Amino acid sequence: MVNNLFKEKNNNYQEMADPLIGIHAAVGEIGVLAFLWVFVELINPSKERIKRAKIIALIGVIFLFASWFVGGYYYVDVYGSEVKPLIKEGPAPWAHSVITETKEHVFLFLPFLSLLTLGMIHKYEKDLIKNKDAKFSLLLLSGLVVLIGLSMAGMGYLISTGFRVALEAAV
Amino acid sequence: MNINVKSLTQSTTWTIILITILTIWSELSKPFKGFLTNFSGHHWVTKGIFSLVFFIILYFILSKIYEDSLDVKKETYYVVGATILGGLIIFIFFVEHFFS
Repeated sequence: MVNNLFKEKNNNYQEMADPLIGIHAAVGEIGVLAFLWVFVELINPSKERIKRAKIIALIGVIFLFASWFVGGYYYVDVYGSEVKPLIKEGPAPWAHSVITETKEHVFLFLPFLSLLTLGMIHKYEKDLIKNKDAKFSLLLLSGLVVLIGLSMAGMGYLISTGFRVALEAAV
Repeated sequence: MNINVKSLTQSTTWTIILITILTIWSELSKPFKGFLTNFSGHHWVTKGIFSLVFFIILYFILSKIYEDSLDVKKETYYVVGATILGGLIIFIFFVEHFFS
Protein backbone atom coordinates (compact mmCIF):
# COMPACT_ATOMS: atom_id res chain seq x y z
CA MET A 1 0.00 0.00 0.00
CA VAL A 2 2.82 2.33 0.88
CA ASN A 3 4.43 1.43 -2.43
CA ASN A 4 1.22 2.35 -4.25
CA LEU A 5 1.09 5.64 -2.38
CA PHE A 6 4.68 6.32 -3.39
CA LYS A 7 3.99 5.54 -7.03
CA GLU A 8 0.85 7.62 -7.12
CA LYS A 9 2.59 10.60 -5.52
CA ASN A 10 5.67 10.11 -7.63
CA ASN A 11 3.61 10.36 -10.81
CA ASN A 12 1.94 13.53 -9.51
CA TYR A 13 5.22 15.16 -8.58
CA GLN A 14 6.86 14.30 -11.88
CA GLU A 15 4.15 16.38 -13.49
CA MET A 16 4.77 19.52 -11.44
CA ALA A 17 6.07 20.58 -8.04
CA ASP A 18 3.75 22.82 -6.01
CA PRO A 19 4.48 26.42 -7.03
CA LEU A 20 3.77 27.60 -3.47
CA ILE A 21 7.03 26.12 -2.20
CA GLY A 22 8.95 28.07 -4.84
CA ILE A 23 7.12 31.29 -3.97
CA HIS A 24 7.76 30.69 -0.26
CA ALA A 25 11.49 30.18 -0.87
CA ALA A 26 11.83 33.13 -3.28
CA VAL A 27 9.94 35.56 -1.07
CA GLY A 28 11.91 34.41 2.00
CA GLU A 29 15.24 34.80 0.22
CA ILE A 30 14.33 38.33 -0.91
CA GLY A 31 13.56 39.12 2.75
CA VAL A 32 16.93 37.73 3.81
CA LEU A 33 18.78 39.61 1.05
CA ALA A 34 17.04 42.80 2.17
CA PHE A 35 18.51 42.37 5.65
CA LEU A 36 21.93 41.62 4.16
CA TRP A 37 21.57 44.96 2.35
CA VAL A 38 20.61 46.63 5.64
CA PHE A 39 23.71 45.10 7.28
CA VAL A 40 25.98 46.47 4.55
CA GLU A 41 24.38 49.95 4.68
CA LEU A 42 24.94 50.13 8.44
CA ILE A 43 28.60 49.06 8.51
CA ASN A 44 29.56 52.66 7.86
CA PRO A 45 26.30 54.62 8.24
CA SER A 46 25.65 58.03 6.73
CA LYS A 47 22.39 59.97 6.46
CA GLU A 48 21.69 58.55 3.02
CA ARG A 49 22.60 54.98 3.99
CA ILE A 50 20.37 55.08 7.08
CA LYS A 51 17.50 56.39 4.97
CA ARG A 52 18.01 53.51 2.53
CA ALA A 53 18.36 50.99 5.36
CA LYS A 54 14.98 52.10 6.76
CA ILE A 55 13.22 51.48 3.45
CA ILE A 56 15.01 48.18 2.77
CA ALA A 57 14.32 46.89 6.30
CA LEU A 58 10.61 47.63 5.81
CA ILE A 59 10.68 45.70 2.52
CA GLY A 60 12.51 42.87 4.30
CA VAL A 61 9.84 42.72 7.04
CA ILE A 62 7.04 42.63 4.46
CA PHE A 63 8.74 39.83 2.51
CA LEU A 64 9.49 37.76 5.63
CA PHE A 65 5.85 38.05 6.75
CA ALA A 66 4.75 37.11 3.21
CA SER A 67 7.08 34.10 3.33
CA TRP A 68 5.51 33.15 6.68
CA PHE A 69 1.98 33.21 5.25
CA VAL A 70 2.78 31.50 1.92
CA GLY A 71 4.99 28.86 3.59
CA GLY A 72 2.39 28.37 6.31
CA TYR A 73 -0.37 27.85 3.77
CA TYR A 74 1.76 25.29 1.90
CA TYR A 75 2.81 23.56 5.12
CA VAL A 76 -0.74 23.20 6.42
CA ASP A 77 -2.52 22.56 3.12
CA VAL A 78 -0.04 20.48 1.09
CA TYR A 79 3.03 19.37 3.05
CA GLY A 80 1.23 17.64 5.94
CA SER A 81 -0.93 15.45 3.72
CA GLU A 82 1.24 14.91 0.64
CA VAL A 83 4.93 15.31 1.49
CA LYS A 84 5.33 14.44 5.17
CA PRO A 85 3.96 10.84 4.89
CA LEU A 86 6.34 10.06 2.02
CA ILE A 87 9.41 11.46 3.76
CA LYS A 88 8.55 9.55 6.95
CA GLU A 89 8.20 6.28 5.00
CA GLY A 90 11.33 6.91 2.94
CA PRO A 91 15.02 6.32 3.62
CA ALA A 92 15.55 9.72 5.30
CA PRO A 93 12.72 10.15 7.83
CA TRP A 94 14.92 12.52 9.87
CA ALA A 95 14.38 15.08 7.08
CA HIS A 96 10.90 15.58 8.48
CA SER A 97 11.26 14.53 12.13
CA VAL A 98 14.31 16.70 12.81
CA ILE A 99 14.73 19.21 10.00
CA THR A 100 11.14 20.20 9.15
CA GLU A 101 10.17 20.25 12.82
CA THR A 102 13.13 22.52 13.63
CA LYS A 103 12.62 24.71 10.56
CA GLU A 104 8.93 25.33 11.06
CA HIS A 105 9.44 26.48 14.64
CA VAL A 106 12.73 28.40 14.38
CA PHE A 107 11.26 30.21 11.37
CA LEU A 108 8.77 31.82 13.75
CA PHE A 109 11.65 33.79 15.32
CA LEU A 110 12.34 35.63 12.06
CA PRO A 111 9.32 37.99 11.75
CA PHE A 112 9.88 39.26 15.31
CA LEU A 113 13.63 39.74 14.86
CA SER A 114 12.99 41.62 11.61
CA LEU A 115 10.37 43.86 13.29
CA LEU A 116 12.82 44.60 16.11
CA THR A 117 15.53 45.53 13.60
CA LEU A 118 13.16 47.84 11.72
CA GLY A 119 11.97 49.44 14.97
CA MET A 120 15.53 50.07 16.13
CA ILE A 121 16.54 51.69 12.83
CA HIS A 122 13.57 54.07 13.18
CA LYS A 123 14.43 54.80 16.80
CA TYR A 124 18.12 55.52 16.25
CA GLU A 125 18.04 56.97 12.73
CA LYS A 126 19.07 60.44 13.93
CA ASP A 127 22.05 59.44 16.07
CA LEU A 128 23.11 56.14 14.55
CA ILE A 129 26.27 57.72 13.13
CA LYS A 130 27.50 58.66 16.63
CA ASN A 131 25.83 55.94 18.73
CA LYS A 132 28.25 53.04 18.38
CA ASP A 133 26.24 50.73 20.65
CA ALA A 134 23.08 51.15 18.57
CA LYS A 135 25.05 50.60 15.36
CA PHE A 136 26.68 47.46 16.79
CA SER A 137 23.27 46.17 17.97
CA LEU A 138 21.72 46.72 14.55
CA LEU A 139 24.59 44.97 12.79
CA LEU A 140 24.19 42.05 15.19
CA LEU A 141 20.42 41.82 14.65
CA SER A 142 20.44 42.19 10.87
CA GLY A 143 23.30 39.67 10.69
CA LEU A 144 21.28 37.28 12.84
CA VAL A 145 18.26 37.61 10.53
CA VAL A 146 20.52 36.81 7.55
CA LEU A 147 22.11 33.78 9.24
CA ILE A 148 18.78 32.32 10.37
CA GLY A 149 17.32 33.00 6.92
CA LEU A 150 20.22 31.18 5.23
CA SER A 151 19.83 28.26 7.64
CA MET A 152 16.15 28.09 6.58
CA ALA A 153 17.26 27.75 2.96
CA GLY A 154 19.72 25.02 3.95
CA MET A 155 17.05 23.15 5.88
CA GLY A 156 14.67 23.53 2.93
CA TYR A 157 17.29 21.84 0.76
CA LEU A 158 17.60 18.93 3.23
CA ILE A 159 13.81 18.50 3.33
CA SER A 160 13.62 18.48 -0.48
CA THR A 161 16.42 15.89 -0.52
CA GLY A 162 14.49 13.74 1.96
CA PHE A 163 11.44 13.96 -0.29
CA ARG A 164 13.42 13.20 -3.44
CA VAL A 165 15.13 10.11 -2.01
CA ALA A 166 11.74 8.89 -0.78
CA LEU A 167 10.34 9.18 -4.32
CA GLU A 168 13.44 7.55 -5.83
CA ALA A 169 13.25 4.67 -3.37
CA ALA A 170 9.82 3.77 -4.71
CA VAL A 171 10.63 4.04 -8.43
CA MET B 1 5.40 57.02 16.26
CA ASN B 2 7.71 56.91 19.27
CA ILE B 3 9.17 53.43 19.53
CA ASN B 4 10.11 52.15 22.98
CA VAL B 5 13.15 50.04 22.18
CA LYS B 6 13.50 48.53 25.65
CA SER B 7 9.93 47.19 25.41
CA LEU B 8 10.54 46.04 21.84
CA THR B 9 13.71 44.10 22.68
CA GLN B 10 12.12 42.50 25.75
CA SER B 11 8.94 41.61 23.83
CA THR B 12 11.09 39.95 21.17
CA THR B 13 13.13 38.03 23.76
CA TRP B 14 10.02 36.79 25.61
CA THR B 15 8.23 35.90 22.35
CA ILE B 16 11.18 33.74 21.30
CA ILE B 17 11.13 32.08 24.73
CA LEU B 18 7.35 31.55 24.35
CA ILE B 19 7.77 29.94 20.91
CA THR B 20 10.42 27.59 22.33
CA ILE B 21 8.21 26.63 25.31
CA LEU B 22 5.10 26.12 23.11
CA THR B 23 7.13 23.94 20.72
CA ILE B 24 8.53 21.63 23.40
CA TRP B 25 5.37 21.55 25.53
CA SER B 26 3.16 20.64 22.57
CA GLU B 27 5.42 17.69 21.73
CA LEU B 28 5.47 16.43 25.31
CA SER B 29 1.75 16.86 26.06
CA LYS B 30 -0.86 15.44 23.70
CA PRO B 31 -3.76 17.30 25.37
CA PHE B 32 -1.90 20.59 24.93
CA LYS B 33 -1.15 19.82 21.28
CA GLY B 34 -4.83 18.93 20.87
CA PHE B 35 -5.82 22.28 22.36
CA LEU B 36 -3.48 24.12 19.98
CA THR B 37 -4.85 22.13 17.03
CA ASN B 38 -8.48 22.72 17.99
CA PHE B 39 -7.92 26.46 18.39
CA SER B 40 -7.18 27.16 14.70
CA GLY B 41 -7.21 23.80 12.95
CA HIS B 42 -3.41 23.35 13.11
CA HIS B 43 -1.04 23.50 16.08
CA TRP B 44 1.61 25.43 14.13
CA VAL B 45 -0.88 28.10 13.05
CA THR B 46 -2.01 28.54 16.67
CA LYS B 47 1.61 28.90 17.79
CA GLY B 48 2.04 31.68 15.22
CA ILE B 49 -1.18 33.44 16.27
CA PHE B 50 -0.33 33.18 19.99
CA SER B 51 3.21 34.47 19.39
CA LEU B 52 2.02 37.46 17.36
CA VAL B 53 -0.72 38.40 19.85
CA PHE B 54 1.66 37.89 22.80
CA PHE B 55 4.32 40.07 21.15
CA ILE B 56 1.90 42.93 20.46
CA ILE B 57 0.21 42.86 23.89
CA LEU B 58 3.51 42.53 25.76
CA TYR B 59 4.99 45.45 23.82
CA PHE B 60 2.09 47.74 24.72
CA ILE B 61 2.10 46.68 28.39
CA LEU B 62 5.88 47.08 28.73
CA SER B 63 5.89 50.43 26.96
CA LYS B 64 3.51 51.72 29.66
CA ILE B 65 5.87 50.44 32.37
CA TYR B 66 9.36 51.16 31.04
CA GLU B 67 10.87 54.49 30.25
CA ASP B 68 12.83 54.25 27.06
CA SER B 69 16.30 54.41 28.53
CA LEU B 70 18.37 51.33 28.08
CA ASP B 71 21.68 49.73 27.53
CA VAL B 72 20.89 48.81 23.92
CA LYS B 73 23.88 46.50 23.60
CA LYS B 74 22.92 44.49 26.69
CA GLU B 75 19.28 44.19 25.56
CA THR B 76 20.42 43.05 22.12
CA TYR B 77 22.61 40.38 23.70
CA TYR B 78 19.50 39.05 25.48
CA VAL B 79 17.64 38.83 22.16
CA VAL B 80 20.57 37.15 20.40
CA GLY B 81 21.12 34.79 23.36
CA ALA B 82 17.43 33.80 23.44
CA THR B 83 17.47 33.22 19.68
CA ILE B 84 20.58 31.01 19.68
CA LEU B 85 19.55 29.08 22.80
CA GLY B 86 15.93 28.71 21.64
CA GLY B 87 17.05 27.44 18.24
CA LEU B 88 19.52 24.99 19.76
CA ILE B 89 17.00 23.71 22.31
CA ILE B 90 14.40 23.09 19.58
CA PHE B 91 16.94 21.34 17.32
CA ILE B 92 18.41 19.15 20.10
CA PHE B 93 14.91 18.29 21.34
CA PHE B 94 13.82 17.01 17.91
CA VAL B 95 17.08 15.10 17.42
CA GLU B 96 16.57 13.41 20.79
CA HIS B 97 12.86 12.86 20.03
CA PHE B 98 13.76 11.20 16.70
CA PHE B 99 16.21 8.73 18.20
CA SER B 100 14.14 7.91 21.29
